[in-house]
This record gives sequence, C-alpha cells and structure tokens, in this order.
Amino acid sequence: MTPSLKQSQLQPNKLSFLIVLPILLAIAVLLTYQFAPFVNQPELGATTISKLTETRSNNEFKLSTNGFILIPIAAFITLFLGLWTLTNTQLNRAASILTALSGVLILEYFVVFWMKYSDSGGDYLSAMAIGFWTLLALAITMILQVFIPRVVVAKEFQLRSLVANQESAIILALILLVVVVGLINPRFLATRNILDILQGNAYIAVAAIGMTMVIVTGNIDISIASLVGLLAVISGRLAVADAPILVAWLVPLFVGAGAGAVIGFFVAYLRVPSIVVTLGFLSILKGILIIWTNGQRVTDIPPAFYLAQMKPLGIPMPIIFMVVLTIGAALWMRYSGIGRSFYAYGGNAEAARLSGFSEKRILMQVFILNGVFVGIASVLYASQLRIIQATPPPGLELFVITAVVVGGVSILGGKGTVIGAMLAAILLNTIRSGMIFVNISPFWIQAVQGILILVTVLIDLIRRKRQLS
Amino acid sequence: MNSNTIDPIQPNPTKSANFGKRLRSILFSQEGILFIILMIVMAVLSQLNENFLTSSNLLNQGRLMSEVGLVALPMTFIIITAGIDLSVGSILGLSAIVLGILWKNVGLPLELAIVLCLVIGSLAGLVNGLFIVKLDVPPLIMTLATLALYRGLAQGVSQARSVTGYPEWFYIFGQGRIFGIPTQLWLFIFGTIISIIILRRTTLGRYLYAIGHNPVGAKFSGLPVSRVLLTIYAYSGFMAALAAVIFVSRVTTTRSDMGTGLELDVIAAVVLGGTSIFGGKGSILGTLIGLILIQLLKNGLALSGVTSDATIIVIGTVLILAILINNFVQSRREG
Repeated sequence: MTPSLKQSQLQPNKLSFLIVLPILLAIAVLLTYQFAPFVNQPELGATTISKLTETRSNNEFKLSTNGFILIPIAAFITLFLGLWTLTNTQLNRAASILTALSGVLILEYFVVFWMKYSDSGGDYLSAMAIGFWTLLALAITMILQVFIPRVVVAKEFQLRSLVANQESAIILALILLVVVVGLINPRFLATRNILDILQGNAYIAVAAIGMTMVIVTGNIDISIASLVGLLAVISGRLAVADAPILVAWLVPLFVGAGAGAVIGFFVAYLRVPSIVVTLGFLSILKGILIIWTNGQRVTDIPPAFYLAQMKPLGIPMPIIFMVVLTIGAALWMRYSGIGRSFYAYGGNAEAARLSGFSEKRILMQVFILNGVFVGIASVLYASQLRIIQATPPPGLELFVITAVVVGGVSILGGKGTVIGAMLAAILLNTIRSGMIFVNISPFWIQAVQGILILVTVLIDLIRRKRQLS
Repeated sequence: MNSNTIDPIQPNPTKSANFGKRLRSILFSQEGILFIILMIVMAVLSQLNENFLTSSNLLNQGRLMSEVGLVALPMTFIIITAGIDLSVGSILGLSAIVLGILWKNVGLPLELAIVLCLVIGSLAGLVNGLFIVKLDVPPLIMTLATLALYRGLAQGVSQARSVTGYPEWFYIFGQGRIFGIPTQLWLFIFGTIISIIILRRTTLGRYLYAIGHNPVGAKFSGLPVSRVLLTIYAYSGFMAALAAVIFVSRVTTTRSDMGTGLELDVIAAVVLGGTSIFGGKGSILGTLIGLILIQLLKNGLALSGVTSDATIIVIGTVLILAILINNFVQSRREG
C-alpha cells in the first residue's frame, strides 16, 4: 500500500479539481456554442448561433431526414440514460449529470435548428459542426464512463479513470483529434467526411472482431489479407457469373469458415503454432489467388451486388454492419458460455483445460468464427468499389492487428474487447483523414500508426503499475 | 533429453550400437530431417531442369539468398529466446533511406554514409531491445509498432522519392565477386560461422537457450538477461542495415519500400529450420538449411517453368509440412 493510495482513500468526498473539470468543460462547450464563431456560412463567414438566428433568411440550413430522426433519438437516449443512472447510487453521479446535460444540449440545438431551418437546404450536421460532435462524443464518453467503472469503483469522477480502460482512452483521443483537426480545418467535420471515415474502415473493424477472438485465446492470424483477397474475388466472380446475389454474399462466409477450420485443425489437433500455420497459409492463399485470377481484376459486377454502397435509412451499410456486429460480438463474448470460454482459455490455458473446457473445441470455434468474420469483411471490401483487385489488400493483416492491439486486446491472451478494436480502427482512419485535412504528408501515416501502438503499450504499462501498487 | 542419458546400471553399449544410435539421433534431428528433404528436393529439381545444378546458377542463388540469410542469423537467436523481430524489413528500408539521404542530400562521403547507415540500423534494433527489456513490452507488439514506425519514418523522410546514381565501386557489395564468389555470399558465410560459434561455443549462446527455456529462471540464476537481449536485438538491427547496403548495391537504387515483407521470409526460413517459435530450441545450421531449401525451391520451380505464384504455394506447404513431420518424428522419439 503506497501512501498516495491511502490518502485518496481517506478523503473520498473532497471536491477536487477533477470533479469540477468536466462540468467546466461542459459549460465551456455551451458558451462556445452560444457566442463563439463556430459555423462557416457562405455569406456570413464565421458566425454564432444568435447571429444565424437573426439572418436566417439568407442561410441554407436543413435537417436531412436521417438527422431529423436520429438526432432526437440520440438526444433522448442520452438524456434518459443520464437520468436513469442518476437514480442508481452505485454509479458515478457527476458522470450521470453530465450525460443528462449532454442530452439536453443536443436536444436544445436540435430544436433550435429544426424550428428555424427545417425548410431550407443545407447540411444539418455540418452546420452543428464542432459543438455537436463534441457534445455527442462527450455524451458517449459519459455513458461509457457510467457503465464501465472497471478498475476504479467510481465514487467520484476522476479524470484518471477516463484512461483506466482502453475504450474510453481511445474515445478521449478521438474527441481531442476531432476537435483539434476541426479547429484547424472545419471542413473535416462535414457529415460526408465523418461518414467516409466511419465506413472506410468498417471492413477492417469487422475483420478485427474475428482477430480479437483469435488474439484473446493467445493465438494470431497473419493470413487474413490473403484470405480477404481470395474471398473478395470469389464473391465478385459469383456475382459476375449471374449467381443469385445472396449466394455471392454468403459463399465467402462459408469458404472463410472452411479456411478457418483448416487453420484451426492444424493449430488444435496437430499442435502447430498459429503464427507458423498462418504464415504458411499467407503464401498458399496468395498463390492460389494469383494463379486462379492470373492477376486479372473482377469488373462488370451487377449493381445489385454493391452491398457496401447501400444506404438503408440513409446510413451507409458498412457502418451498420460494423456497429451491429461489434455490439453483438461484444455481448456474445461477454455473456455466452462459448465467449467466456475464449477468455478463460486465453487467460490461463492450463486452468481452463483442468476446469473441463475442451481446448480443441475452443480453438476450432475461434478460427472458424474468425473465418466467418473475414468472410463478411471481404464482402464489404469487395462491394465498396466497382472493381475487385486480384491481389490481397496490402498490409491489411498489420492494420487489423494494430487496431486490435491499440483497442486494448492483450497479445498474451485473455484480455480485451471487440469494442476497443472497433474504436481503434475508427481512430486509425480518423488520423489518416485528419492528416490530409491539416496538410501533413500521408507518407507519415505509418510512423503515426507505430507511435500509436507504442503509446498504447505505455499507457497499458502505467495502468498495470498503478493496479499493482 | 532423457532418451540421451545412458542408464548407469546397464552395461555400456557396444561401439557399433553407439555409432548407430548417434547416426540415428543425427538423422532424426530437425537438421537431419531437413537435410534429407533438401537432398530430395535438389535431386528432383535437378532432374526437372539441367541448368539447375550448375555452379553459376547456385552461386547466383547464393547472391539472392544473402540478404534474407544475414537477417535470419540474428532472427534465429531472437526466436531461440522466445522473442520475435517483425521490424527487420522496416529497419532495412529505413537504413537504405538513411544511406541514400546522407549520401545524396546531405553530401557525406559514401563510406561515412555506409557506416552511419549501419549505426542507425543497430540503434533501431537497440530501441526495440530497450522497450522489450526495460518496459517488458512483448516483442511481438514492440516490433509490430516499430515495423510501422520505421517504415513510416523511411517514407516520411524520403517522401517516397528514390535515390540513384551511386558510384561504380559501391556496386561491389551487391554485384561484385571476390575469388569467383559473390561478395555478399562471403559476408553471409562469415556471419554464419560467427553465429554458429556464438551459439555453440560461447556462454552467450548458452544464455540464449536458457532465456528461451525459462526467462524467469534465467533471471533468477543471475544471467545477464537484459544485456543479452539488448545485444541480440541490436545485432538484428545491424544485420538488417548490412542487408540494406547489399540490397541497395545490388539493385543500384534506394527506395523507401525496400524490404517490405522481409520479416515473413526470414521467419519462414528460421521456423522451417526447426527453431521453435516458443523458444529454447533451434540452430543456425537448421536456419541455413531452411534458407537454402526455400531459395532452391523458388529457383528450381521457376527454372522448370512454374510461375513464381505457384512457388509461394509450394513454400507455404513445405513450411507447414516440415513442421508437421518434425512434430511427428520428435513425438515418436520421445514417446
């Protein structure tokens, strides 16, 4: 027991700077919103809400349909969650209040814009710009903060607990990034760009779900780039050959599961280390792909095939896939018996075996599931452009593993969630896009990616030290 | 291990039986099995094409193999300690860029640029080692981070522009011959001999196995674990930089994407050579046979009209099969 811990135990109710800070932050956001110039209007230049209200006859704001539906829903959910968690004495009160406050603020600005500008053209979200995104991010952070009080049992709001788990640390990084880049170049915050960022990395986030499972059990799969390349071409060729679209979409899932089963068989039954098996499969699958296609890309794909370009309810399909699959997988891994067994096995294989888990079954399940997720990812990848390249997407396996690792999944197994991996995939793409908007040469992106992994590792290190002391 | 110790109660086995036992243990060791596979592969390939088993072809293959080979030597050490270095390809790229930039843009003499390039490579390896040793970062993660970081630095510094126009004498490293044998092959042979001596005849070599078998035990036995690990990761960086000099000299140009995917070739050769990815087991001889096997498969199949894409299928299959056969034989021996 170090003295520092004792002190904080002795004075749990002290009104510290850390408690007040988020409230100050919220007030600052509110004030900025009201009075500081944050919207760039063609006629007005940088302007504030009150000015916009005065000159509403010249401006071009309109609520697009999905904003019209989704924003109030988001606001109400946030508000409701905040109020609901406020009644629970176990949870963090300051965070609950802030959550509710964020909900109110979002709602307020929604109402303001809806009343004034509902019938003219323009883009609602880009008009809301920094303020809206900050608030939404703040709200999400707070929700997470309220629901995941993992390391520190949240009696008071501590800024330190924001970085206590990797998910909220990434969200914090995302907010900072969005705010900083947004201040330098407001066009970064346009809805179109935000959506591009989210959907550009969606297939990587989907592949990261499977990779998370593999890494949680203490294994690794470095063959997924080759597999994605191969499955994408299979999918595309089926579509070109006039197979039913559903078949073209589903076959890669089964082939992926098959490939995963073969890899799993080698790992589970023949006891070959997964890094060696997948190193072999990386070459084998790539070779098959290039020989089979002769390097010729797939073109003339029927339009019905473009899954990734569909937009039900105005939301791009990849984002729906990413969010739904990630949340589903997160819940499944957390609450199902099979999901728990992955963590058990990854945390301590010997103990899991002695507790009666079948090691072979767990490994087979993990690799088959990984194959299925790679299959889904490759359909998204295949259908995002009008042509499908006959080469494995370069560096994909590294990108996915980076996302998983930055997302807080321990390479030693037994720790980490798919939500972290998804957020990290989004973060990586936000950085890439942000660099373009602040005019940094994209050649530096890999260096940033490397530094990001290092920072993650260091934060994790500090976190572990603190837990130990 | 236990099968080799002789029961003291039993009478000493006769000399011929002893010889037979030794022969069998050599034959069924990882290197023995690989050597047999290599011989079969060479026999088949020489039947398929008459140009395969000529000295000029084999020497040329030695030239092409040297870059991967040089990096594979320290990689064997690292994998024996249950570590891994994924960043070697990126260190190669970074060192090559440093060489090009220092010579062309900064205007240093090429000799000095080469030395600095080797220094930078070693430093890059040392940084890996420092994080792994001092901060306990898993080697896979650390070198994954620097795989991206060093490649990113190479690309960022060079802005993906290439450097060409090296003076004539520089090409000796990659294209020249000394006594009829390619220069880099000499370097590789020299490096191999040194590495074999280190691994088999020095305490450092014994430390490597001890660390790989049981890192905690090694630490508590008072072995200088940190210093050993720092040394081998820096050695790995140095060799990657040396390979960079040879690579630049061979292809007469410097590009930031040089050595992409090198780590996979190197690891494949080392693992094929019987070095266990879990540490504690492996040899330079095995790595050497693994390297030769992969290179000759590539070359022999290409000569026989198989496309290079089919070749990578064969190599992937051989990699998995070799491990399977080895697993099988070793479990039979122990069982």
